[in-house]
Amino acid sequence: MENILAPAETRPAAPRLPAGPPVLQLRNIEKVYQTKTIETVALHQVNLTIGKGEFVSIMGPSGCGKSTLLSIMGLLDEPTSGEIELDGRPVQSYSDRELAALRNQKIGFVFQSYHLINDLSVLDNVELPLLYRPGVGGKERRERAYAALDKVGLSPRTSHFPGQLSGGQRQRVAIARALAGRPEIILADEPTGNLDSVMGEEILDLLLHLNREGTTIVMVTHDEQQALKTQRLIRFFDGSQVS
Amino acid sequence: MLRHLFKLIWNRKRNNLLLVSEIFFSFVVLFAVGTMLITFGTNFLAPHGFDYQQVWRLEIRAGQNETMPRTELDEVLRQVQALPGVRQVALASDNMPFIFRTNTSAFSYQGRKSEQSNIYDTDDHYAQVMGLQLREGRWFAKADDGSHHRPVVISQDLRQTLFGNEPALGKIFSWAEPGPDIKPEDQFQVTGVVDNVRMENDFGPAVPSMWIRLLPFDSTRWETANVVVRVAPGSGGELQEKIARTVAGVTRQWTTMVRVVDEDRLHKRRYTIVPVAGLALVSLFLIVNVALGLFGVLWYNISQRRAEIGLRRAMGATGSAISRQFLGEMLVVSTLGVVLGCLLAVQFPLLGVFDLPPKFYLAGIAVAGVAVYLITALCAFYPSRLAAGIHPAVALREE
Repeated sequence: MENILAPAETRPAAPRLPAGPPVLQLRNIEKVYQTKTIETVALHQVNLTIGKGEFVSIMGPSGCGKSTLLSIMGLLDEPTSGEIELDGRPVQSYSDRELAALRNQKIGFVFQSYHLINDLSVLDNVELPLLYRPGVGGKERRERAYAALDKVGLSPRTSHFPGQLSGGQRQRVAIARALAGRPEIILADEPTGNLDSVMGEEILDLLLHLNREGTTIVMVTHDEQQALKTQRLIRFFDGSQVS
Repeated sequence: MLRHLFKLIWNRKRNNLLLVSEIFFSFVVLFAVGTMLITFGTNFLAPHGFDYQQVWRLEIRAGQNETMPRTELDEVLRQVQALPGVRQVALASDNMPFIFRTNTSAFSYQGRKSEQSNIYDTDDHYAQVMGLQLREGRWFAKADDGSHHRPVVISQDLRQTLFGNEPALGKIFSWAEPGPDIKPEDQFQVTGVVDNVRMENDFGPAVPSMWIRLLPFDSTRWETANVVVRVAPGSGGELQEKIARTVAGVTRQWTTMVRVVDEDRLHKRRYTIVPVAGLALVSLFLIVNVALGLFGVLWYNISQRRAEIGLRRAMGATGSAISRQFLGEMLVVSTLGVVLGCLLAVQFPLLGVFDLPPKFYLAGIAVAGVAVYLITALCAFYPSRLAAGIHPAVALREE
């Protein structure tokens, strides 16, 4: 299995390929957090189309609604108004069960703080999304998890626990977990935010490679240099898309 | 998923150890109380083997430093017997049913030894007064006057221990430790077998028993005579007074105390039930404490694992799958505690502790197991529902 962690000097930027058919579409998305006294507009009239195979980065100052947008894209949160289409299907009316199935099959998540389960081994963590997928048996789960770990260069660490790994290794485990489910789209929320620059570059390389292999990636980042290596950069300010 | 749960629980063994030990101790307490209550309940529903209704007992005292000649005692019994409302009178030893006096010993027959058995000294009319049910042979009677050995009637359980399936009537047995010279009065000849009797209290089991014939015309001078009287239904204080007057009429110095056996039974029941009720109450508090503890631990667990819940939701778990996972974890942890508890509990029937039949212990294990699962499922239900309701986006953002 190919180890896709390329040396730093050979890092390529994402090719500016034409975007494929839309995999994710947001139309007129509004997200308002309402308390008894305060109404906070987190997202205002967001319209966004992510094409198949695209690598899109989202930038903006803290609190501008980037993570909220990613949660809505990942079907973890509902917009106050607006429409979301995943693979051309509107998902507003989907039940909890249907949304969970969509998240499981179509979306992979990578978080800034990795969100690994410390009491499970690396292998078990990577198997996690497949645990919720009907029809995938134990043997297949294991094989896919091994393959995903091999892809991120962590084959020798399968029986380790997250606490025994460095930050970069943990993030690679998180990426392997996202890959194990073979999703169409990976949503990465500041995946390099907790890492030093070398580790951060390593993780970005990994994501770029996955994108070259055809995975659609949406990444929230604060790092302009990293964002410029992706195919498209979207900037947010105060809940609105500004570019 | 079950394998995943086992892995999670095993990897969190330190955290789960406390929970497992809490469940283990709850199981043990429930097993002990359950076994006791089942035993008591089963005994309570079993027949007493005799009829204690309409039976009175008389305690006739000769007075300080006085004794009663048998002839005068027999005259008293005759006059009491003649009273209207008195159906039958019998002389007996002082270990009456339902009072705090016992006389026990063990017996042996050709190498077979009985457990400690109750011994009652009674006359020929005792079976009639107490309504004992004969299964084999007859109660002792005048025909036994010339018997070389002591005529006895034994209960079915004692018969089974000493003679098994062999015939019992006419057999002669003795004390378990008779000594080198066995006298004829230490040898007992079976004239009859009666149903098992429960004469100690309402909740006690049947105890092997033997009734030895009090010899008529015994010249022993008694200080106190214990008499049982079967009276007509509806007899009350008036007849009690008549009996006391009759005794006093025969011998001016003798005093009589009349007690109703059924009242003795209720009195003894109170003494037996109070510690049991107390223990059951303490156990109930203990179980409530355990339930609250489990509830608290689970609640804490869930609040500590919000990020994990959010992650699982992001990975495709539904709310109900999360709820099931927490319930499942709790049930697996409970199973570990119950298995440990069962390992301890089965030692009781295997080692024959407290001489209880194994079925009571097994029923106790079943009751404790079901109760533990019910308690843990109830305690886990609400926190698991809470876990299911956690908003994934919020939970993921919190870490």
